[in-house]
Amino acid sequence: MQALLSFEQAPPFAAPLRFFLTAPLFAMLAGMLLLWTGPGLLASRWTPAALALTHLITVGFLLQVMLGAMIQILPVVAGANMLRPGLLASLVHAAIVPGALLLTAGFLTFQPLAYWLAAILLGGGALLFVGVAGHALFVVPSTNPTIRGLKLSLPSLTVTVGLGGSLAAGLAGSLQLPLQQLASIHLTWGLVGWGVILLATVAFVVVPMFQITPPYPAWFARSFAWSLLTLLCCWSLVAGWQWPGGALLAGAVVLHVVAFAALTLHVQSRSKRASFDATQRLWQVAMLCALAACSVWYAGTTVPELDDRLEWLCGVLALLGGFMSVTIGMLYKIVPFLVWLHLQNQGAGRVLAPSMHKVIAARQIERQAQSHFLSLALLLAAVVWPEWLAYPAGLAIVLANGWLLRNLLAAVAFYRRHRLRIAAVASADGTRR
Amino acid sequence: MDAITDFMAEDHRSCDALFVAVEQAVARGAWQAAGNEFRRFHDAMLHHFAAEESVLFPLFEQRTGMYRGPTQVMRGEHSQIRQLLSAAESALAESNADDYAGTAETLLIMLQQHNVKEENVLYPMCDQYLADQLETLLPELQKQIAGEERLSR
Repeated sequence: MQALLSFEQAPPFAAPLRFFLTAPLFAMLAGMLLLWTGPGLLASRWTPAALALTHLITVGFLLQVMLGAMIQILPVVAGANMLRPGLLASLVHAAIVPGALLLTAGFLTFQPLAYWLAAILLGGGALLFVGVAGHALFVVPSTNPTIRGLKLSLPSLTVTVGLGGSLAAGLAGSLQLPLQQLASIHLTWGLVGWGVILLATVAFVVVPMFQITPPYPAWFARSFAWSLLTLLCCWSLVAGWQWPGGALLAGAVVLHVVAFAALTLHVQSRSKRASFDATQRLWQVAMLCALAACSVWYAGTTVPELDDRLEWLCGVLALLGGFMSVTIGMLYKIVPFLVWLHLQNQGAGRVLAPSMHKVIAARQIERQAQSHFLSLALLLAAVVWPEWLAYPAGLAIVLANGWLLRNLLAAVAFYRRHRLRIAAVASADGTRR
Repeated sequence: MDAITDFMAEDHRSCDALFVAVEQAVARGAWQAAGNEFRRFHDAMLHHFAAEESVLFPLFEQRTGMYRGPTQVMRGEHSQIRQLLSAAESALAESNADDYAGTAETLLIMLQQHNVKEENVLYPMCDQYLADQLETLLPELQKQIAGEERLSR
């Protein structure tokens, strides 16, 4: 109960912000890598450059934003206070950023040292986060699906990072492992066990509350994380030992994702908000992409000769279309709100903070979202016509994420300007007294 | 078991519905209707705060001895929400759709993150500590929410 005494202890603004500001740089690097490597990157999902690009997006962009957001939301949605969130954010960030860069370097240069250092840094950073977040959540009773889902997402991150570390050791030549088999278990735990469980857990709260929709059915929210995690464990055992029934279990896992995406679209279609903003559109596109990714996955199991292109389409739809779209949409709510909240607290009632809409101009958000959709469309098309479209797609990814960074930096500049104003008012008040 | 959580969360949802009614009137450019809807929303919010600040929180503080804990934080957030309500009221009085939209968005996020804290943390704690008081507590909360007691503005 002691942990609940001070759930006002919002982490300092810098704690989540450092993750949010470096994430777009990694997505820009992914675009640059495509520009540098050209159509060859898209030849197979196992090319070194393709593995590097995938991890620039998953670790560099998605994991970073998710960790930053979790540091912010755990005290709010679960009343779970992490020990020294500012210090935790600095340490985790200082491990994840070089870790992601070294992993990219490892894929591109095959240097065992790069793989080893990446495994140590990413493993250390993620486990430190899991330890502190797990400790904070452990004392909170699981009174609702959100708290339960947050708790269940942490073991999935641990499994993902653990398998990732083993794979890095395998690639460094230190371990003899069935790499492809392990890679498929690693990516499923990362995308579904960590990504989908965390996203769904957050969606159960934010979609009804911020888009003012009916709630998700209680039975669905209650059982989703548990049921998905159980299926994942069974599938991993079956896939790991190559027992029969793997396809059936994989199908059941994918059906969970289909149900979540379809239900989110259904719930969202009943939103009572008067206008449909960029964040809602990003969520909608993300859910449509998730459904498309699941259909493509199913097609891949029935038409094996198209396997290679379909795998790429599935990956682009899931990562750029699904996870990145939602993440960008959430950043456009979280960052302006945090700017407002911190300014409001610093103004202490004497200086009122300007509303969230003034922090990042709505037109900039709309246009950046469109540039993200364009980069998604171009990359999807580049999977089919790599010779023609690999370069435009790379350029579009660089531009869309450069724009995202610009919008986030505009929010930081706005914050700094208003802090100076608050300091000026406070010092004028002091002089008058 | 979850009587307080269910009861208070339901009132949060009623306030959400009133918030939406204002937003829809503003989107239609029906300023007078928006003003009327806003007053209903505003009053419902203040009744809800009054129920918490004058009935639920004091009882919780007395029972747990936590005077400087979550309830203090919630009172602080109520005061921030009251400021946003005043800002929204001014934007409506000036028929300024952009200002209203900006303030309403901020108000909505402030309000919902506040509601999440209450529904996920504070109300379940109230359910845990005040289970034996439900018979008198729920009618008292109902009375406040219905606005039968004087508003503590």
